[in-house]
Amino acid sequence: MIGQMLDPRQEFGKAVTEVAREDNSVVILSADSGKSSGFGEFMELYPERYYECGIMEQGVIGIASGLATIGKKPVFCAIAPFVTSRPFEMFRNDLGYMRQNVKVVGRNCGFTYSELGATHHSLEDFAIIRMIPGVVVLAPQDPAEIRQATKAMLQYEGPVYMRIGNPKIPELFEEKAFEIGKGQLLSSGLDVTIVTTGSMTCTVLKAIEILKDYGIYAEVIGMPTVWPIDEKIILESVEKTRKVVTVEEHYVIGGLGSIVAEVCSKNNPVPVKMLGVPHTYASSGSYEELLSYYKLDVKGIVESIRDFV
Amino acid sequence: MKGANDLEKLEGYELELVAQNCRENVIRMVKASGHGHIGGAFSAMDIVTALYFRIMNIDPKQPKKDDRDRFVLSAGHKCMVQYAVLAERGFVNKEILDTYGKLHSTIPGHPDMYKLAGIEANTGALGHGLAIGTGMALGLKSNRTNSKVYVVLGDGELAEGSNWEAAAAASHHKVDNLVAIVDYNGLQISGKVEDVMNMTPIADHFKAFGWSVKDIDGNNMKEIVETLEQIPLEAGKPTLIVAHTIKCKGLSLGENVASYHYWSPTLEELQKTEDEMKRNKDRLVKKIEEEKS
Repeated sequence: MIGQMLDPRQEFGKAVTEVAREDNSVVILSADSGKSSGFGEFMELYPERYYECGIMEQGVIGIASGLATIGKKPVFCAIAPFVTSRPFEMFRNDLGYMRQNVKVVGRNCGFTYSELGATHHSLEDFAIIRMIPGVVVLAPQDPAEIRQATKAMLQYEGPVYMRIGNPKIPELFEEKAFEIGKGQLLSSGLDVTIVTTGSMTCTVLKAIEILKDYGIYAEVIGMPTVWPIDEKIILESVEKTRKVVTVEEHYVIGGLGSIVAEVCSKNNPVPVKMLGVPHTYASSGSYEELLSYYKLDVKGIVESIRDFV
Repeated sequence: MKGANDLEKLEGYELELVAQNCRENVIRMVKASGHGHIGGAFSAMDIVTALYFRIMNIDPKQPKKDDRDRFVLSAGHKCMVQYAVLAERGFVNKEILDTYGKLHSTIPGHPDMYKLAGIEANTGALGHGLAIGTGMALGLKSNRTNSKVYVVLGDGELAEGSNWEAAAAASHHKVDNLVAIVDYNGLQISGKVEDVMNMTPIADHFKAFGWSVKDIDGNNMKEIVETLEQIPLEAGKPTLIVAHTIKCKGLSLGENVASYHYWSPTLEELQKTEDEMKRNKDRLVKKIEEEKS
């Protein structure tokens, strides 16, 4: 099931460049962030469509909005906190309120920039960006899905935020067209529903194999569109399992866990256990150490789900 | 009097009369809602009138035509100036002016591009318009059109750091189809701009960022028109016009008074104001007739 390891940023950059070959309205904006976002080839092929702005993320979002009013499709990628929390008002007003066709991509998401500390972590991006009406929030789960989600968001008319990581991640899925707003049933079971997203999906798929040894058969829903959420797939599953665990590299409040709890409390109240990072400034350290410390590695997820079920 | 088809030839007192009619439109909105940001609307009125009635390539019948010039009111709280001019120019029916401040009005307290023809950006939070305008200008240049982008900024607004990000980017990318006009009336809510946060000398700051800069009297129609007809002042550089204006220009009780940034008039003040607007209009009509005879 698990294939080769690939760099999410390179897969994203290649996919944008592929779309840009056919669609000359695609333009790239950089806040001194282009090369590290996988745009090396784009810069060589289409220098006239590459706008370097230097380290000014607020300015870049405004400029992207202006370009979109002229019919361009701006793509802006930089370190996740710098494209979400820093220019939040520009995101809200210039992209959300103005309904602009701009694609913002936060790379090095979650705490993948682990050793650089809390300034470089992005553990609130789902929470704050989903609060902007009309903005789609994506967190694709493997390299193929990153490529396909990139193409899908460039076909979609409207503001999109996509979050990708930085360490290499394994191929999990066959390459297939990405449908915005749809969750995926990745494994069937009757004991508990696990809803997860982004690179956590791979860890969860490993964890459920171990849970089987304890007699726990989990249903796994991969949720590469965090907002708007696929309510139907969640409700169909909890109808069977009567309990949910959410797993995300994000604060336990405000993100996927809160979204799933909102869906359940409104439609079918069942217990919801949220696994993620506690509401604090996360430690620095190696990525693997952080995952282990916050119980987001296979071992931690298995223990938490065993306790819950 | 010249007809609607002769708009491009409007000049002198005729343009001043249009600006006076637009000031009346603003009073109509204040009367409807009971209040409004009148100080900035009146200080910027002559500039915005000149843009819409003399300078910009726009067509009220085709508000979205591709080759139009763009107008972004970065200081979105001055929106009554834009609503007044759009109504006078025929983008919308003047009756909507009576809905100002009402539920579901298409002319809200800050402009909304999806509610009113002629609005190009949703401004209101300060420090957004110059970056949006820079993006528009870059996009228009890349499409090889001759369209220009005009951004009206407030002077107090210049303390927002995001303006200077945009100022650097516009200069770096040589967008000489971008024209920023600072409505330098010198007053903001708390008092004198120089006392609240001194961003002067405005012209020197923008010059240092690589802009081509000119100081003008922003309530002198002749000077406004002559300057705007020379854009770009220098090829390869964005243009910054420091328009020295009088806050609340044209309303004698509010001229140069900081508290008239936002005005909630009494009935008596409103009556006096309407009388003053009528007198000012009559004076201009008389001058035009004198010039003709």
